[in-house]
Amino acid sequence: MTQATIRSRSAIAAHPITSTAIALLVAVDIFLVLWVPLYSRLTPKWGDFPFFYWYLLIIMPVSSLLLWIAALLQKRLARPGTGRASGAVLAEGTVRSVEAGSEDGQ
Amino acid sequence: MSGVNVTTFTIVIILFVVVTGVGFAAARWRRADMMNLDEWGLGGRGFGTFITWFLLGGDLYTAYTFIAVPALVFGSGSIGFYAVAYTIMVFPIVFIFLPRLWSVSRVHGYVTPADFIRGRYGSRGLALAAAFTGILALMPYIALQLVGIQAVLTVMGVGASSSNSFVKDLPLFIAFLVLAIFTYVSGLRAPAMIAFIKDTLIYVFVLVAVFYIPTRLGGWGHIFGFAQAHFAAISPVTKKPLGTFVPVAQSIGSTRLDFASLALGSAVALFLYPHAITGTLAAKRRGAVKRNMIYLPLYSVLLALIALFGYMAVADPVTAANVKKAGNAQLAVPYLFQHMFPSWFTGVAFAGIIIGALVPAAIMSIAAANLFTKNVFVEFFKQDASPALQTRMSQWVSLVVKLGALLFAVELPHTFSINLQLLGGIWILQLAPMLIGGLFTRWFHRWALLAGWLAGMLFGTIAAYNVSSVTASHWAGSSDIEFGHTIYIGLTAVLLNLVVAVVLTLILKAVRAPEGADETLPEQYLADPDQAPVPVPAGAGARLDG
Repeated sequence: MTQATIRSRSAIAAHPITSTAIALLVAVDIFLVLWVPLYSRLTPKWGDFPFFYWYLLIIMPVSSLLLWIAALLQKRLARPGTGRASGAVLAEGTVRSVEAGSEDGQ
Repeated sequence: MSGVNVTTFTIVIILFVVVTGVGFAAARWRRADMMNLDEWGLGGRGFGTFITWFLLGGDLYTAYTFIAVPALVFGSGSIGFYAVAYTIMVFPIVFIFLPRLWSVSRVHGYVTPADFIRGRYGSRGLALAAAFTGILALMPYIALQLVGIQAVLTVMGVGASSSNSFVKDLPLFIAFLVLAIFTYVSGLRAPAMIAFIKDTLIYVFVLVAVFYIPTRLGGWGHIFGFAQAHFAAISPVTKKPLGTFVPVAQSIGSTRLDFASLALGSAVALFLYPHAITGTLAAKRRGAVKRNMIYLPLYSVLLALIALFGYMAVADPVTAANVKKAGNAQLAVPYLFQHMFPSWFTGVAFAGIIIGALVPAAIMSIAAANLFTKNVFVEFFKQDASPALQTRMSQWVSLVVKLGALLFAVELPHTFSINLQLLGGIWILQLAPMLIGGLFTRWFHRWALLAGWLAGMLFGTIAAYNVSSVTASHWAGSSDIEFGHTIYIGLTAVLLNLVVAVVLTLILKAVRAPEGADETLPEQYLADPDQAPVPVPAGAGARLDG
């Protein structure tokens, strides 16, 4: 159990900058919409659209893009030889043993 | 049946028949043994990125999108755009936890969120609470779909002229029956296949409407200008402005905090719903889930455009007068289309809305049925149920759930049908600590989670019951005033839930209460096995795939 915990955390420990970047990307993505004072105003207008309305439309592709970058970074974390990959292999092996007896889990 | 436009009616009927045919034919798609719950209820867990996108899109954009959101925008202005903020925010939020849920469910063969709760905390009681919440929360959500169908049928003039309430609702019952039967026969494959047709119809009519209607109404400038002036006007009844054009800091009914809390609460709630999880678990690979978080916002663009239909309805005098005469804001979009489009295209749009409500209703009732079968029936009544019996059970429960939804649709006030979805949200949000929390940590104690859940459910239900308005004494809204601010009840309830869970966990850990077994391992939350787990055949089973 403890050994496995260390293994799954090692991906984050091995790439602190990439991991922080992923967390930041996702947090910024949420903040841009959650913080309503950021966009609840009428100006500047874009064409006939008041700011509030065109901001909500523009932020969608931006949100997609940020998540796409985050996913790419996660892929880098998961390259062969890192903790994540070995974890996946290990996981398939453990299915049977877990089903066999989970009582002794703790 | 006077006042029925024959062209519109014919187009709707033709498209409805086509879709029904596809629904029944879907049973043969990727043919497999339908007497297996993994097949009936999860489409064999073999959907790639593309189909998952359609299926999740079919889940997420429903009558809520086409009827309820524009109705709120029509009635109250900018607060309705919380739905747009929510569908943007939902993807970064679920990006955090959904892939983990997919992985651990794939490794252990979980079909429902309650399966995971049971495996993670070794607690049947907690799993039962999760199953109960899921089924309860889905009923008002399905009811919302029915209200949406009803809105379209009313504007079409079908049955509406009759004063007999049975005749009036007959077309709704027929649509409902067809839905029930093809869900029963084809399981999840039916809505997955129909979703293709539905989305094509919807994309076509939304894009046409967005470019065409403004040209009829004097352009976007006029639409926005008219709406702004309209919502600033003082209502003679309440002596307050009719609505807001952008969320403001201080106002009754539409503050920035209300807007943000509705958006955040709905975003967290969405992927706690069993049907959204069902759609996710039907994906073949972890990557398909993640890629969908990136592609699904395409639907959000659509939602924002549909929300703007509410302003178009405000700016079109004929539509506004029709809605006012009927006294039902839900009719805003159907009336707008009827007035703006030639009758054949109105038929296409109406069929799109009706089918767009039937698909999610089917997926939701399947998810609720899976929950009941796996986590109540098998768990507590018949541990040795064969796969065939389990599937039959799910098929019947899916019918019962739909009837429950019909009750919600009839009983609750319809001023804003969006409240049906927000009420479901209040309940389903109470699963957040055990489900999302459980995906990251085993720190919470199972009894503390149960107590927190109970506190949140009770507080949320009572608070929602007590919300009144000019037209309804109870269940009239989903936000109330806490500490001087208008805020979504679901969010306050889940905060209470979390506080109770944390405090009790600290106490229970101090007295060393038994923790329960955890059958999951940390690396299983990141796993990406390409083979679906073999469903454990209890007893003989009816497996024909050997």
